[in-house]
Amino acid sequence: MNLCKRAWWRLTGHPGKTLMLIGLFFVICTLVLSGFLIQSAAARAAEHAKKSVGAVATMQLDVNALLSSGKNNGTDPAGARGGTIGSRGDLHRSLVDRICASSVVSQCNYTTDSGAFPTKSTKLYQPVPPPRGQDSLGTDLFKVDGIRDLNAVGAFRNGDSTLVSGRGIGPDSKSDEIVVEERLAKENGLKVGDTAKLRVGELPPPGQKADEREHEFKVIGIYRSDVADTGSYVPAMADPANQLYATPDGASVLLGKGTGQDGVLKQATFTLDAPEDLERLKKDAAAAGADLDLFPLSINDKQYRTLVGPITRTADFAGVTVWLVAIGGTVILALVVASALRERRGELGILLSLGEKKPRLLGQHLVEVVACAVLAIGLAGACSQFLSRALGDRLLASEVSAANEAAANEANQPDPSDPTGLAKKDRPEVEPLSSMEIRLGPADIAKVGATGLGIAALATCIPGARVLRLNPRDILTKGD
Amino acid sequence: MTTPVLELTGLSRTYHAGNRRRTVLAGVSYAFEAGRMYAIVGPSGSGKTTLLSLASGLDSPTSGSVRFRGRDIAELGLGTYRNRHAATVFQSLNLLTYMTAVQNVTSAMEITGVKGVPRKRRAHELLDLLGIEPVDRTRRTLKLSGGQQQRVAIARALACEVDVLFADEPTGSLDHETADDIVRIFRRLAHDDGKCVIVVTHSKEVAHACDEVLHLKRGTLVPHG
Repeated sequence: MNLCKRAWWRLTGHPGKTLMLIGLFFVICTLVLSGFLIQSAAARAAEHAKKSVGAVATMQLDVNALLSSGKNNGTDPAGARGGTIGSRGDLHRSLVDRICASSVVSQCNYTTDSGAFPTKSTKLYQPVPPPRGQDSLGTDLFKVDGIRDLNAVGAFRNGDSTLVSGRGIGPDSKSDEIVVEERLAKENGLKVGDTAKLRVGELPPPGQKADEREHEFKVIGIYRSDVADTGSYVPAMADPANQLYATPDGASVLLGKGTGQDGVLKQATFTLDAPEDLERLKKDAAAAGADLDLFPLSINDKQYRTLVGPITRTADFAGVTVWLVAIGGTVILALVVASALRERRGELGILLSLGEKKPRLLGQHLVEVVACAVLAIGLAGACSQFLSRALGDRLLASEVSAANEAAANEANQPDPSDPTGLAKKDRPEVEPLSSMEIRLGPADIAKVGATGLGIAALATCIPGARVLRLNPRDILTKGD
Repeated sequence: MTTPVLELTGLSRTYHAGNRRRTVLAGVSYAFEAGRMYAIVGPSGSGKTTLLSLASGLDSPTSGSVRFRGRDIAELGLGTYRNRHAATVFQSLNLLTYMTAVQNVTSAMEITGVKGVPRKRRAHELLDLLGIEPVDRTRRTLKLSGGQQQRVAIARALACEVDVLFADEPTGSLDHETADDIVRIFRRLAHDDGKCVIVVTHSKEVAHACDEVLHLKRGTLVPHG
């Protein structure tokens, strides 16, 4: 215990140096602990986010797989056209409903995209006519999104579009109900309760006559899109005023397909509690009769990534900080200890001349550094919660801002996989997590304690190796 | 004839500095007895401090041996020898300045493993013997005068109950009166307590006070006069 007593006398005998060492350790431990706290808070938030959003498995036609398999022609009379999709590419609602019954599916949703040709009574909104000689055949049609819930549509969720009269499409809506844009309604003199007539928006196969039948739809709502007219020619289908919303059945009718169980869907999404449930879902889908080669199920964790992206990056940054501070701290402390050892050569020489063993001299030094470290760890435990909260919030805010900016840029970019814009995402938009719950637990204290004491041990033992080479004569005598 | 407590036999020490070799001591032999006070004198650079370092176990000779009570201190272990049998009082760098006088003494007793006596009480007794006032015993040694620090260093050496006490220019930085006090203490230790006291000095007064004066010249030790 002699060395512990000496260490105590030394620490109390040089309060300035002791305070400096505690201060240095305090800074290191506070930064390290803050990093740990941010990391553990991020891990908790990520776990919570995982539970809250689950995982979304998407089922839709893989066109390449269909074409390369040859199932799009041959035995199927409806699809016997080389290079076209045919009815084998239809995703039937009856199949999706069977898959929805799987025990691992917590929520089920689907969409149908189609187009609709205008009729004499329901015309397209085209404020600027096409330039002379420009062929607009094939794009002069309405864009119809078959949806289950208008409120879940991204444009309505983020406020880009607003319902101005009537009601939106909901799970109880009928197949002949639609919601139209305000400018289109004005162009055609449509009001809520009026009837709009539309034709099937599919071009006929070569040699066959187009489906000229007109389908009547009741206007149940009128919405306003924030996207204003550009003042120049825009193909009708790309004009937001020509965007109609119908039920999946309604959209299926405009594809020239059936309704109800025979309805055709563009895409189905299955919300799972966890990504690990995908394999079970695949088995259930195969048992329900799905051809998973043509309609593969893939997990989409975009929501999860959107939620936790900034927080994960913040945690990564905190992790890097922990390492940098730990390494930098060790180096700085090692230099401080080396300098202190040099300063204390006389003291070491006296102790050696008394017969004190060199490892015990190193031990005394270690006890001093560890005592300062323990005190600093305690102080860091008290202060780092505040620091990590402030630091974490600031870092996270900057990451969230960057993520939102990136998301906005991404939204403005055309989707190369969807050049017509017919496909859409029915998943609700999510905002990245913008706050973390910083909690200091025994595990965090243990971690920073281990790190702090590890730093203390390294910073003492590396320069302390010099002590073992000390010769008392060199210290205590000048030599002749 | 008294058995020597410390014997130097053919003691040599050569230092290497790059390709240069410098022999400071060449075959020094001498036997020191308990209960006597010796002075080692000689011009600067003659090897006095080197001789003291070798004899006190702070350094190892290039050749020859130092024997304590007939046993080579290299076999005994230099650390053990310093710990149990020899103590050195230096001109400076004597005390641990962050400790009080009492702590310096008790700390040394703990290091050397002195047992069977309450350390604090023994420290006070020795400091009292050496004339350190009670109020000064609990002050940090940094705040004590040079003479007081030397006395505390001697008290520490005595506390360790060593047989041989070495002193390197112990009065070099002290005033005349304090230096006389220190010399008197050394004489008392040798003559009353039976210690072997070996003092390296330039001072004629100190040398005169010793029982035997040894002259270190050209690497060898010869009795003076």
